[in-house]
Amino acid sequence: MSALLKVENLTMRFGGLVALNDVSLSIDKGAVLAVIGPNGAGKSTLFNVVTGVYRPTSGRVTFDGVDITSRPSYEVVDRGIARTFQSSRLFSDLSVLDNVIIGMHTRTKTGVLDALFRPGASRREMAACVEKAETLLKLGSGGLFEQRYRPAGTLAQADRRRLEIARALASQPKLLLLDEPSVGMDDTETDALVADIARLRAENPELSVILIEHDMRVVEAFPQHVTCIDYGSKIAEGDFAAVRADPRVQEAYLGKAVAHA
Amino acid sequence: MQGSVSLAAPGKAAAAAFAIASQLCGAAFLYLILKVDGGWQVVGLLALLGFGFYLLERLPWIGDYALASFARASLLAMVTAAVVVVAFPFVVGSNTYMLHLLIVAQLYAVLALALNFQLGSANIPNFATGASYGIGAYVSALLAINFGISFWLTLPVAALAATLFGFIIGIPSMRTRDTYLALVTIAFGVVVQQLLNNFSWTGGPNGLVGIPAPSLFGHSFADPLVIFGWKLPSQANFYYLSAALVVVAIVTAHRLHGSRIGLAWNALRADEIAAKAQGINVAWFKVLAFAVDAFLAAFAGTIYAFYVSYISPDNFTFLVSVTIMTMVIVGGMDNIFGVIVGAFLLTILPEKLRAFADYRLLFFGVVIIGFLMIRPQGFFPQRMRRYGGDL
Repeated sequence: MSALLKVENLTMRFGGLVALNDVSLSIDKGAVLAVIGPNGAGKSTLFNVVTGVYRPTSGRVTFDGVDITSRPSYEVVDRGIARTFQSSRLFSDLSVLDNVIIGMHTRTKTGVLDALFRPGASRREMAACVEKAETLLKLGSGGLFEQRYRPAGTLAQADRRRLEIARALASQPKLLLLDEPSVGMDDTETDALVADIARLRAENPELSVILIEHDMRVVEAFPQHVTCIDYGSKIAEGDFAAVRADPRVQEAYLGKAVAHA
Repeated sequence: MQGSVSLAAPGKAAAAAFAIASQLCGAAFLYLILKVDGGWQVVGLLALLGFGFYLLERLPWIGDYALASFARASLLAMVTAAVVVVAFPFVVGSNTYMLHLLIVAQLYAVLALALNFQLGSANIPNFATGASYGIGAYVSALLAINFGISFWLTLPVAALAATLFGFIIGIPSMRTRDTYLALVTIAFGVVVQQLLNNFSWTGGPNGLVGIPAPSLFGHSFADPLVIFGWKLPSQANFYYLSAALVVVAIVTAHRLHGSRIGLAWNALRADEIAAKAQGINVAWFKVLAFAVDAFLAAFAGTIYAFYVSYISPDNFTFLVSVTIMTMVIVGGMDNIFGVIVGAFLLTILPEKLRAFADYRLLFFGVVIIGFLMIRPQGFFPQRMRRYGGDL
C-alpha cells in the first residue's frame, strides 16, 4: 500500500535552533500513528511544517501523491489534512455551531457575488452546513450539541478539545492531525476520547490519524505505529511495545541514570 | 440566555404590536431630536436615550424580546419601516435643514456599514474609508463634468474605480497587521487627499464646482418633488435616493454576514492562525473586505457629490475616516442596526449641540463617553448567529 503522507528528511531550523533534524516518517491510509517525545522535542513543529504554517529548511512532504512542501495552509486543508492545536485555538466569540461551520470552509463554495445575487443558494448551503454541523456535534462524547449556541470561549476544557476535533472533522479530511487531544482531560474523559477516535475509524476506515500524545493510555490504545522524537530527531519507531522497550526512548523520558539502572 | 429567550417569546399579536410601536417611537425620537433647538431640550432627549440604553443594559431580556418580536413579525416590521422612511419627509415638510441632516446621516450610515465589513466583521482597522468615499465622489463628478455622463452611469463606474483602490491598498496592507496596518491605511488616506489637493485636473484645493443634478424619467433632482399634490423640497429627491442606498447597504451587509464569507471574516478576527488551519485564505479575505468597503463607500461618495454639487479635498480628510470608525465602534461592531444608529447619532449630535456654542465639541465627547460607559460594547453589540426556527 502506498503511503498517504510521506515526510522525507525534514529539517527545520529557527536561527541556531534545530527544531527538526532530518525526520522521515510515513503513514498509510486508515492507519493511526502516535508521535511521542518529551516537551520541546519538535512534535508540534512537525505538524506546523506539514500543514504549511512553517516553511521547512529542507526536506519534502508528500500527501496523496502530491508534493505539498511549503504550500499555504488553506491549500493543505483543501487537499484533506485537518488539524487541532495543542493550546486550543477556537473562535472563542463565535458559537460552538459557527466554529464547526467554519471548519467546512473548504467544502463550501459561495463567493461574494453568489452571496449577494443568489441569496437562495447561499442560504441553502448554510442550512446544509448547519445540519451537518449538528450531526457532527451529536456524534462525539460530551454534550456539545446541547451547547451549540454558547460562545466557544465559555466551554469547559474537555469540551474545547472535543470541539476542536469536531471542527477539524468538518472539513472531511483524509488525514487528521491531533496535537495532544487529551490535555486537560480527566481519566473518564480520556477514555471517552479514545472511544471517539476508535468510533471515527470504524465509521471511516479510510481516515488516517496522527496523534501527538503524552498520555500513554491513549498511545496504548493505538499501539501499531509509534514514533518517538527527541531533540528534533527521530530516535525510535515501531509498535508501542518495541518503542517503550527502546533504551533510547527510556533515556529521553526518564534520564540516563534510570535507563542504566 | 437560552432560558430568557423562551421566557420572552412573544405571541403573534404582541410581536406585531411591539414591532410597530417600537419603530414609531424610534421615528418620533428621531423627529424630536432633529426638531429641537434649545440646549436643555437636547440634553433632555439625550438623557432619555441614555436611560433607554441603561434599561437595555440592565435588563437584557428587553433586547431578546425585541429581537424575537421582529423575527416573528418580520414582514410587518419591514413594511412599517418602509412606511416610516417614505412618510418622514412629509412630516418634516419644508424644513430643508432637517432633510439635509437626514441625507448626510444616511450617507454616513452607508459609510459606516461599509467600514463595518472590515472593522466589525474582520477587525481590520481601515482609516482609508474617507479616501474611498472621496474617490467615488471625484470619479463620478469628473465623469459628469468633463464627459457629461449621467449620474446613473457614473455610479457603477465610480464604485469600480474605488474597488480597484480597495485592492490596491489591500494588497500591501496584507504584509502588516494591527497597529501597523492602521498606519498603512492612514498613509493611503492622507496620500489620496493630498493628491486631490495637488492635481490640477481635480481642481486642486478649490475642488470641483457645478456638478449637474441627476435626473430620473425627466424629473431633475434639483426640482421640488411633487407627490399626489404634496410638494416636497428638492432635498427630498436625495433623501429617497440615499434611503435606497442604505437599503442596498443593509441587504449587502445582511447577505454577506449570513454567508460563509461573513463567517470567514469573523474567524480571522478571532484567530488568524486557526482561520488558516480551517482552509481560509486569510490574505484574500482581508483584501476582499477592503474591496467591499471601498465599493459601498464610493456609492455614498457619488450621491454626496451630486447632492451638494460642489466637492473639495476638505470633504474627505482623515477626520472623516475617524468619524466613520467612531460610528462603528459606538454603534456596535458587526451589528447592522447598531452601526446605523451610531451613524445617525454621531451625524446629528454635533449639529444639535451648536446650542452649546464653544463647548460643543467638549459636550459631544462627554456624551459619547457617557454612552459608552452605559453600553461598553456599543449601543447594539454583535449577537450570536441563530439558525433555523427563531431567527
